[in-house]
Amino acid sequence: MKRGHLKLTGIGKSYGTTNVLRGVDLEIQPGEFFALLGPSGSGKTTTLRIVAGLEVPTVGQVLLDGEDATTLPPGKRDVAMVFQSYALYPHMSVFENIAFPLRNIRTPADQIASLVREAAARVKIDHLLQRRPGELSGGQQQRVALARAIVRKPALFLLDEPLSNLDAKLRAETRVELKRLQRSLGVTAVYVTHDQEEAMSLADRMAVFMNGILVQQGTPEEVFRRPASVDVAAFLGNPPMNLLPARIENGVANIGTASFAVPALASLGSRDVVLGIRPPDIAVAQGGIDATVTMRENLGDDVIVDFAVGDRLVRARSAAMRKLAEGDRVQLHFEEAALHVFDRESGLRVAR
Amino acid sequence: MEGVDRIRAAEAPERRFAWGLLGPGLLVLAGTTTLPIFYLLWQSTQNINLALPGMDRFIGAGNYVRLWEDSRFWDALQLTFVYTGCTVVMQLVLGLGMALLILKLPRAQGPLRVMAILPIVLAPVVVGMIWRTLMLTQDYGIVDLLFRKLGLGSHNWLGDPKLAVLSVIGIHTWQWTPFVFLYLLAALSTIPDDMYEAARIDRANAWRRFTRITLPMIRPAIVMVIIIRMTVALSAFAAIYAATGGGPGTATEILNLFAYRVSFAELDLGYGAAAAVVLLVLTLVVSAGLFAMRRGR
Amino acid sequence: MSRKSLRSWALVAGAFLVLAVWTVPLAWTLLTSFKSDRDVLAYPPVIFFEPTLANYKEVLFGPTNVLGNLVTSVIIAVVTTLLTMIIAVPASYAFARLKVHGKKPLGFYVLATQFVPPIGLIIPYFLILNQARGLDTYWGMVLIYLTFSLPFAIWLMISYFEDIPREMEEAALLDRATRLQAFLRVVLPQARGAIAVTVTFVFLNAWNEFLFAVVIAGAKVKPVTVAMFNYISVEQTRWGQLTAAALIAMIPVIVLGIIAQKDIAKGLSLGAVKGVSRR
Repeated sequence: MKRGHLKLTGIGKSYGTTNVLRGVDLEIQPGEFFALLGPSGSGKTTTLRIVAGLEVPTVGQVLLDGEDATTLPPGKRDVAMVFQSYALYPHMSVFENIAFPLRNIRTPADQIASLVREAAARVKIDHLLQRRPGELSGGQQQRVALARAIVRKPALFLLDEPLSNLDAKLRAETRVELKRLQRSLGVTAVYVTHDQEEAMSLADRMAVFMNGILVQQGTPEEVFRRPASVDVAAFLGNPPMNLLPARIENGVANIGTASFAVPALASLGSRDVVLGIRPPDIAVAQGGIDATVTMRENLGDDVIVDFAVGDRLVRARSAAMRKLAEGDRVQLHFEEAALHVFDRESGLRVAR
Repeated sequence: MEGVDRIRAAEAPERRFAWGLLGPGLLVLAGTTTLPIFYLLWQSTQNINLALPGMDRFIGAGNYVRLWEDSRFWDALQLTFVYTGCTVVMQLVLGLGMALLILKLPRAQGPLRVMAILPIVLAPVVVGMIWRTLMLTQDYGIVDLLFRKLGLGSHNWLGDPKLAVLSVIGIHTWQWTPFVFLYLLAALSTIPDDMYEAARIDRANAWRRFTRITLPMIRPAIVMVIIIRMTVALSAFAAIYAATGGGPGTATEILNLFAYRVSFAELDLGYGAAAAVVLLVLTLVVSAGLFAMRRGR
Repeated sequence: MSRKSLRSWALVAGAFLVLAVWTVPLAWTLLTSFKSDRDVLAYPPVIFFEPTLANYKEVLFGPTNVLGNLVTSVIIAVVTTLLTMIIAVPASYAFARLKVHGKKPLGFYVLATQFVPPIGLIIPYFLILNQARGLDTYWGMVLIYLTFSLPFAIWLMISYFEDIPREMEEAALLDRATRLQAFLRVVLPQARGAIAVTVTFVFLNAWNEFLFAVVIAGAKVKPVTVAMFNYISVEQTRWGQLTAAALIAMIPVIVLGIIAQKDIAKGLSLGAVKGVSRR
């Protein structure tokens, strides 16, 4: 088996009577960049820590390259981790920080020197080796953490929101570099984040966590195009998907005081649903639903416009709507193919 | 292995390591600080008088009955309350006042902080000695001098029973007010200025700002400082011993000193042990009560 | 004068008053230590006089000198501090990181050991040491000094260790360090400052101790806090020598206090200086 294969089966974690994670099944292939996405408290960090060995799951199994690693202590797994706070050793120089993992397995000194230099060069900090972490900027500290993680050439590379402490501009730059680094090393990366944009842009595949449950897995494209539940749909996309509770009857959707025809959904019969439509999929067209502009936000390239449709609020994003102004009455068209349907009670996606 | 058992098994080596480090320390701690207390309790039920050896025997609650009937004990207990109450209140009022004062004089904070450290780090026995000799001696002492210069006459500060009590209270307050000062100064410094500015804009006068903003915000610090100062006052010893030895007679004999003298001057250790037990119980009750109050708030 | 400047004058006057109250006694002690016996007893008391080192000479080298007692104090304080730290540091680390059910009650227990009135310990210890021939010995002294040093040091170090972020140790574990290696090479270096502060306070308390000292001391082992009483006798109090002895006894304490003043101030806010204030 190629190095860096991870399989989680039925992983769950409880602290006393509090359950924070349950029923997590996923499989990551060697060399994949896999993101764990979700809001805070959703269980994604707990899952990462279980993979690292910092927590032991209450139920379930962790298979690392085919071997049961569920109860193995972290030092015995072939994983490296970059913490959100970087967790650098402040009393050691950058060189010593990176060398620490090698010293602990008694690597000969000359090998250490060359390995450290190699890792430092990869993340472009080879000129900072004699400094102390306290003297470095946030971005530089993060690279030290990265270098320390890659110096051992681990099978699995774990990252816990590594970019969240950086300012926006640095975050965008570092994001690209991270992906490049992972590709060039060919190491499997498991990346925890609450930023859906980050996950979407970096990951080969991702898993979305909500309230301790893994609700959907797949490529970013899959998850975005076909969110499995209302929660996932609301979490992805900027601005988020419009979610309208509606009653479908005989091919007509009633949302509050307004209604419109949805012949493609006639097969659903009579049902209480939540209709989802993404802001870019709304267009102004004759013969559509009556709507009034309530607010307009100029983003430069395009605009965000809020419409009152009956007693509901719908948000659209488009360049074509630039000419609209507050108070305008227009008619909107919801692209039927772009309509997402979710069951009202369970929140789960309904097949059409 | 599933569930909790598996976690316990996986964490076993770490637990062993932790107990390996903690165990010996705990043992030494318990051995040195707790075991002797049991022995103390046992001693308090004995008649042990080193001045009359060979008469040691078990007398159950005998020492406690004797305490109950001993007016010297009750005087000591009462004095303890007076001493503790007065010193703590004075330290609090003075310390808080000084802290508030110094907050308005930022440039004075540096030197005053250094000055405040000195009385705190001195040995109480030295402080007691200094006050006994240089300050409170009739005619030669600075305090006496001051009083005469102010037309308030010369007094026998340590020889007059009532003045002696005042003197020891004063000495304790002198030594420990700087502690309260530093502690509350630190707490006051954490109150952001904009809170006061917002209050000013809301037309709050100085008194309201003090009672509605300052006091509530430093309440935890005040409670903590009271707990600390009370437990110290209850077991005050060295300064009183140096200044008056507990006298004149038994005028400044707080319970702590009473237990000491009975045990080591009169060598009546069983009786002294009983007095010590009373002080122990008193201290624990007071501390527990204050901590409970702190948690309740 | 305007109301504002009158107020600031009052504030400054107040500050000076405060300063005076707390420095005059100490300044006077300093002055007195340099006075000859005649100047000491001068009435009214003099501020200007011809200073002499006679008191210091007598206190250090004279027939009633306390030099030996100073050495005794040093030995006892140093040994107590060393023993305390060796026991307390690993124990506090383990407690700070321990994952057991008993943690809360254990924590209460450690805190409670600091609230025991010393008289409650010296009475049983006196009898125990008497039987074990530990009175007037160094080991007897150090043993009973541990009763106040250990709880304090453990409690103080626990709060410091809890402040060290767990993630650093977790990173060390992931870097293949054993728990022991993580403790020695990552955590301890971080705790250097905390250890220095704790050592300072433990030493201070041991140096200033009186009650335990006066009960356990004898002719052979007598710390300077007890020996100072040599200079107070029924007939005459020899103030010059007394203040000189007091000052010499105060020196290590004052030096430590000034060096560590920032830490003392910080330690106060942890409620840590309860220990210093005990004695």
